[in-house]
Amino acid sequence: MSTVPRGLRITLLLAPALLVVVGLFGGGLAQAVAQSLGYQPFLPGRELSLDAYRALWADPAVRASIGITLRVALISTAAAAVLGTAAALLVRSLGRHRRRFAALLQVTLPLPHAVAALAMILLLGQSGALSRVAAALGLVEDPSGFPALTQDGFGWGIIASYVWKEAPFVAVVVLAALSSGVAELEDAARALGANAAQRMRHVLAPVLAPAVAAASVLVFAFTLGSYEVPFLLGRPFPATLPVVAYQQFRDPDLSARPLAMAIAVVTALLVGACVVAYLSLSERLRR
Amino acid sequence: MRLRRPCADTAVRATMSAHEPRRGGELVVDGLRVAYEPGVPVVDGIDLAVPAGTLTALLGPSGCGKTTVLKVVAGLLTAGAGEVSVDGIALDTTPAERRPVGMVFQKPLLFGHLTVGDNVAFGLRMRGVGRAARRRRVAEMLELVGLPELAGRRVGELSGGQEQRVALARALVLDPRVLLLDEPFSALDAELRHRMRELVRRVQRELSITMLFVTHDQQEAVDLADAVVLMLGGRIEGVGSPSSFYTDPPTLAAARFFGSTNEIPGTVTGSAFTCPLGELQLDHPGPDGPGVLVVRPEAVRLLGADGPPNTVTTTVRETRFRGTHRTVVTVADGGTMVLTATVAPAVPVEAGDRVHLQLPPSACRVLPTAAPRIVTTTENEDARA
Repeated sequence: MSTVPRGLRITLLLAPALLVVVGLFGGGLAQAVAQSLGYQPFLPGRELSLDAYRALWADPAVRASIGITLRVALISTAAAAVLGTAAALLVRSLGRHRRRFAALLQVTLPLPHAVAALAMILLLGQSGALSRVAAALGLVEDPSGFPALTQDGFGWGIIASYVWKEAPFVAVVVLAALSSGVAELEDAARALGANAAQRMRHVLAPVLAPAVAAASVLVFAFTLGSYEVPFLLGRPFPATLPVVAYQQFRDPDLSARPLAMAIAVVTALLVGACVVAYLSLSERLRR
Repeated sequence: MRLRRPCADTAVRATMSAHEPRRGGELVVDGLRVAYEPGVPVVDGIDLAVPAGTLTALLGPSGCGKTTVLKVVAGLLTAGAGEVSVDGIALDTTPAERRPVGMVFQKPLLFGHLTVGDNVAFGLRMRGVGRAARRRRVAEMLELVGLPELAGRRVGELSGGQEQRVALARALVLDPRVLLLDEPFSALDAELRHRMRELVRRVQRELSITMLFVTHDQQEAVDLADAVVLMLGGRIEGVGSPSSFYTDPPTLAAARFFGSTNEIPGTVTGSAFTCPLGELQLDHPGPDGPGVLVVRPEAVRLLGADGPPNTVTTTVRETRFRGTHRTVVTVADGGTMVLTATVAPAVPVEAGDRVHLQLPPSACRVLPTAAPRIVTTTENEDARA
């Protein structure tokens, strides 16, 4: 038997992973917080302050960014939750073909988001497949007359890309929840006189709610903090928070750096709040 | 049998109109056949009748199709052939939620997001019963199952036994004509299982409800039931009173399922049974021809000397202490036939002793070796009369 105390042994075994997390992620976050407070030793006369956070609310680009970021995240999350749950319930009802369709549902999961974004450009862009089909059918005079669904002000292309990727993720989570004895509960409810609609409302919905909510929190956190999809499918203005943060970060004027970091820190805090909500829901799901 | 078809939801209306306990209904299953894969029936040719206000145990080993039968009766599974009726009303086209049948499952299957009271009230709520009436019925049912103070408790805070009591109350609250119980106590410890059996028996008697109780435990079936239906391999092996299965089993398989037996192959001629042990006398001879004589170890008597009819001289091979009794395994003279007897723990018998075993003619039954003989409850009652 080893003489090393158990706690120390676990710490040592986890050390390589912890080093990466604490060193890279924690270090980067600490650096971002420090710079957002004005810590820039390479510039003369800088003092620590909350000026960047005050400027953040005053900047019209950031205010517009908050709007589109929340809009895209909320609509994508709601659509993914509804479509993913519906898809899971549909797959469950397919009987012996269930496994095949469940596998089909998961095809989009391993694809990178950048690929999904490029696919949306090819499909929804004004020179994309949909616009050409619309022109061929005479719905628009010219493909360029097709409504702008990518690089648009509302963020439809971004939303479509997120829904395409995240609805299957929600479906997989819901399918897992459905496999844990829900059919038996529905049988019990049937034997107690509940019809299909009543079973949906009084049995399925309460059982699935924590799983759908947990998956939705993850989707919301991801769509809130994701950079590549809004960068590829969105406009430079208004852009989502991660894109604005990167724009500020790339500004040749180094005095813009605290603002970039303040945006990044606020985004990280929002995502952190989502993670806390997710953990709380997961705990409830386990109970 | 010609059955009446249900008009609209007669059964449901009847259920909901009565809040005072009513006697249960008669359940009849006729020619039931269920196959999950074409040509491979899980159960086949199931005919059974549960008289109104009685408790029948559907007994059989795991995987013999007991739960399948129950699910068909409840409407949770569709049969390939056959008919289910309650009080002469065919239920084949009636969906599960409108059948006058309640069910308690193997697992409690309580709704985790509801309190105990809300779980019990679930069926009433689904049928639109008002809040005050729900509350009154829930209180009555929780009182009946001995949990009057738990209405406000979360189901996650209940013990296994309490969960099954709540499940029982939840099924009873709808005042079903027939209550199905699918091994509801199999996950409980022996003491709790015993208490739950007594509870079910008390509830059944108080409400005079018709119950079909599925179990794989023959002791549970004997303890609880007015009648036992034995299922083996998807078919009914026999139907009878609990004691008849023990003393007068319909088949060799049934005899084995109800405990260990001594089995002696031979031939019946009149009231004599010729076998390797010699010629044995039978009080219940049955038809002439080959068969297997079965006699329970508990019925075999250990004698001090040879004398009475059917006494065999054997040598004790081993004895096994069983707490309340001792099992004596002997080998008959000639060394080929093993006979087992049960004696009191204090009886001084050791391996190597020569003993005389009597197989009482009244306790010997000769059973066919292959074709099963179906014994009906009526036949058994006639036999007893």
